Amino acid sequence: MAEFTSSVFQNEFLPDGGTDVNAIVTIRCTGAGEAGRTGRGDAGEIVVVDTSGSMGVTNMQAAKQAAMVALDNILDGTFFAVVAGNHKAYLAYPIVQTGAGMVRMDAATRTEAKRAISYFRAEGGTAMGTWLNLCRSLFDSIGNLGNKHVILLTDGENHNETPTQLDQAIRAAVGQFQVDARGIGVDWKVAEIRKIAQALLGSVDIIGDPSRLSAEFAALMRNSMARGVANADLRVWIPQGAQVMFIRQVSPSVEDLTHRGVPVNQLTMSYPTGAWADEERDYHIAVRLAAKTVGQEQLAARVQLAVGAELLTQGLVKAKWSADTNLTAQINPEVAHYTGQAELAQVIQEGLAAKAAGDEATATTKLGRAVQLATETGNAEATAKLRKVVDISDARTGTVRLRKAVDKADEMALDTASTKTTRIRG
Amino acid sequence: MTAIDQPLPTCPACGSPVSASASFCEVCGGPLTPTQAPVASGLPAEPISGQTRRLGSRASQATECASCGGPVGADGYCQLCGTKAPSARDHYRQSPADWVAGVCDRGRAHPRNEDALALWAQDDRAVLVICDGVSTSTDSDVAAQAGAEAARDLLAEHLGRPGVPAAEDVDQALVEAAAVANAAVVANTAEGSANAASATFAVAVVLDGRVHFANLGDSRVYFLGEQGGRLLSVDDSLAQAFIEGGMPREEAEAMPRSHAITKWLGRDATDLVPRVGSFRLDQPGWLVVCSDGLWNYASAPEQLDAQIAAVGSDDPAMVADRLVAWANDQGGRDNITVALARLRAVPADPEQSHSLDSAEAQASTTEQEHAEHG
Repeated sequence: MAEFTSSVFQNEFLPDGGTDVNAIVTIRCTGAGEAGRTGRGDAGEIVVVDTSGSMGVTNMQAAKQAAMVALDNILDGTFFAVVAGNHKAYLAYPIVQTGAGMVRMDAATRTEAKRAISYFRAEGGTAMGTWLNLCRSLFDSIGNLGNKHVILLTDGENHNETPTQLDQAIRAAVGQFQVDARGIGVDWKVAEIRKIAQALLGSVDIIGDPSRLSAEFAALMRNSMARGVANADLRVWIPQGAQVMFIRQVSPSVEDLTHRGVPVNQLTMSYPTGAWADEERDYHIAVRLAAKTVGQEQLAARVQLAVGAELLTQGLVKAKWSADTNLTAQINPEVAHYTGQAELAQVIQEGLAAKAAGDEATATTKLGRAVQLATETGNAEATAKLRKVVDISDARTGTVRLRKAVDKADEMALDTASTKTTRIRG
Repeated sequence: MTAIDQPLPTCPACGSPVSASASFCEVCGGPLTPTQAPVASGLPAEPISGQTRRLGSRASQATECASCGGPVGADGYCQLCGTKAPSARDHYRQSPADWVAGVCDRGRAHPRNEDALALWAQDDRAVLVICDGVSTSTDSDVAAQAGAEAARDLLAEHLGRPGVPAAEDVDQALVEAAAVANAAVVANTAEGSANAASATFAVAVVLDGRVHFANLGDSRVYFLGEQGGRLLSVDDSLAQAFIEGGMPREEAEAMPRSHAITKWLGRDATDLVPRVGSFRLDQPGWLVVCSDGLWNYASAPEQLDAQIAAVGSDDPAMVADRLVAWANDQGGRDNITVALARLRAVPADPEQSHSLDSAEAQASTTEQEHAEHG
C-alpha cells in the first residue's frame, strides 16, 4: 500500500501588517507498487503514433520500432491499444469494429499488435484532436480503469483541424487520462504539444535524433507502469477570508495549478495530480491572509494529498506575526529557489517567443535574465541549453547576445526543457 | 478525552450522523469538513517550519475556536478561520486546593509560552514553583516545565511527610529543589545545543504558619498582607545591580537590558544556590509568586495589591485569571505566570521563634530590609 508523507518549508514569521505566506510543500510517495496491481482498477495504456505523410521513411521506421519497444514494457494483464493518427484516427490494434477497444497484454496480443504496427505507412495530414477523442472512446469501452495513460508521438503541426477542435478534444480528455507527448523533428509546435501535455498531466519533450526514440518510449512506459497510485488530488484548505495567490507544482517541473482547482467545500479546493510512482513532488503555495496582531499565530493552509475521499497526508502552512525582524526578514531558501525556477521557465518561454516574433531586444533581455536565473539556481541543464541559443558574456549579470545561427532543434529543446527544475535541500 | 465522550457529528446538509474524519456524507454525498484526522493516516511529524523542537503534542483540547466559534481540527487549528487554538502549553491553570491556584499564559507578543508553573497543596501546606524560560535559548519551554515540576515534586515529598520539619530543613530543601530543577532543565537540553535552555526559579512554601521562599533570576515572591505588602525575593538582574548601586528602582527597571538576569538554571549556569528566606505569618494576606510578565506592569507591592483588590475575591483561581487577563490587557509583552495562596494568620507560637531567627540569619540583606519595612 502506498504511503504518502509531506514536509513544509517556509518562513512562517510575518512582520507586523504582513499578509503573504509562501511555502514549499514536498509530498513523497513510497510503496506505490505497479500500475493496475494495487486493487484500484486495471491499468490502460494506449500508444499513439503519428503516421502522417511528413513522417517520411526514417522517422516512420524509428516510430514503429519505438512503439514496439513500448509494448515490450507494458506489464502483462494491462489493457492496451495502438492508435495510428493522421488527419483521422485509426484503431490499429486490437482489430475490432465494435465492443471493447482494448485488450489485455499477453505474449499473443503483444505479437499481434507488433504485426499491426509493422503495417504503418506515412500518409495524410495531422488532426491530434481526433486522436485524443479516439483514445477517450477506447478507455471508455473498458470502463472502470484505474491508471489511463497515453504516449503520443507527432512530427508536425495540427494542420487538419482548428485550434478550437483541438481544445475541445483536450477539454474532454481532462481528468480522463494522462498524456506524455513527444515531438520528432523540428516541424511541430512546442506550444501546441505543451498545451496537450500540461492539461493532461504529462510531459513534453523533443526527440532530435530518431535513433533515441525507442529508449525514450521504453522509459516513458516503464515510468507509467511504476505508477501504482492511479489518481491523487492535491487539496488545499485556506482560512475563511483568505485568498490563494497561486498554487504551482515546482518540481520535477513547473506547472501552474492555480486555475485547475475544483471546490471540495467552501474553503478547500482540489487540484488533480494524476498518477504517482515512488517519487517526490514539490508544490509552491502562496496565500494572502488578513494581517493579525504581533504574537498571533494561525494556519495559512492545510495542504493534503487525497486519493478519492481519503486524506493520506497533510502539511500545515503557518503564519506567525512577529516584531522580530531577524525572523521576519528571512526568505526561506526553498521558496527563493523555486521562485527563481518558476521565473526561469517564464523568461525562457517569453524570450523564445520574442525571438520568433523578431523582437531581438526583448529576446536578449529575457534570455539574459534566464541565464542569470539558471546560474543562480544551479540549473545546469537550462544553462547548457541556453548556451546553444545565446552567447554568454557574463552569466552573473545576465549579459548575453543572441547567437546568429541557431539550430531549430536546440531552440525547441530549450523551450521544452524550460519547465524542468532542479531541487535544493539546505 | 475520548471520541466516545463527544456527540457524533451530523451532516449539515441532511442531518445524518457522520464520522468525524469523513470528507463526504455517506448518505447524501454532501461535502463535509473533517474535524478529526482519519485513523492511522500516517500524518507526518511536525513540518520542518519551526525554529526549534516542540513539545510532543501541540494539538489543542479545545473543540470550539475562541476567535470565530468554528470547529477546531485535530491539528489544533480552527477549520474555518485557521486561528490557532490555545494549546495546553499556551495557557493552563492549576488549583490543588481552594486556597492555592495559579495560571500560566503565553501572553500576547511571544510565540511560545516558556513560563512554567507547578503547584502542590495538602491541608494547610503548599508549594508554589514557577520557572520563566529564557526566550533566547532553545527549547526553554520544555526545560522550564520540567524544572518547575521537579522542584515541586521534591518539595511536596518533603512537606508531605508526617511531622513538622525544622525551618532550616525546609530552607535546605529549597536549595535542593533548585538543584533538582537545574538537573531537569539540563536533562531537557539538546546535547549539541549551542544555546542551552535556561530558566529562572522562584518558589514559596507554606507550612504551619510560616512562609519559606527562594529564587534565582527575576521571578518574584511577594507577600501582600492586609497591613501592607512587601517584595520578599531579590532579583538576580542588572536592574537589581543598579538598585544596589544606589539607583532608584523605577529608574533601574527602565534601564536598557535591565531584564538581563545574572543567575539562572541551565547547563551554562554558574551559581545554583538560591537566595532563601522565611517569615512567620502575622496577618492574613496573599502570597504571590509571579514571572516578570506580570510584575512588569505592577512592580511595587502596592501596585500588585491594588490589582488584586480590584478583583474583589478571595478565590485564588479567579484572582489569578484576572491578573493574567489584566497583564494581557496591558500588552502581554511577555509570558505571564502567577501563583497565589490565600493565607490566614496563625497565632504566634513562641516555641518557633528560634527557628524564625535562624532562618532570618540565613536570609538575604533584603529580607532584613523587609523586616525594617515591616
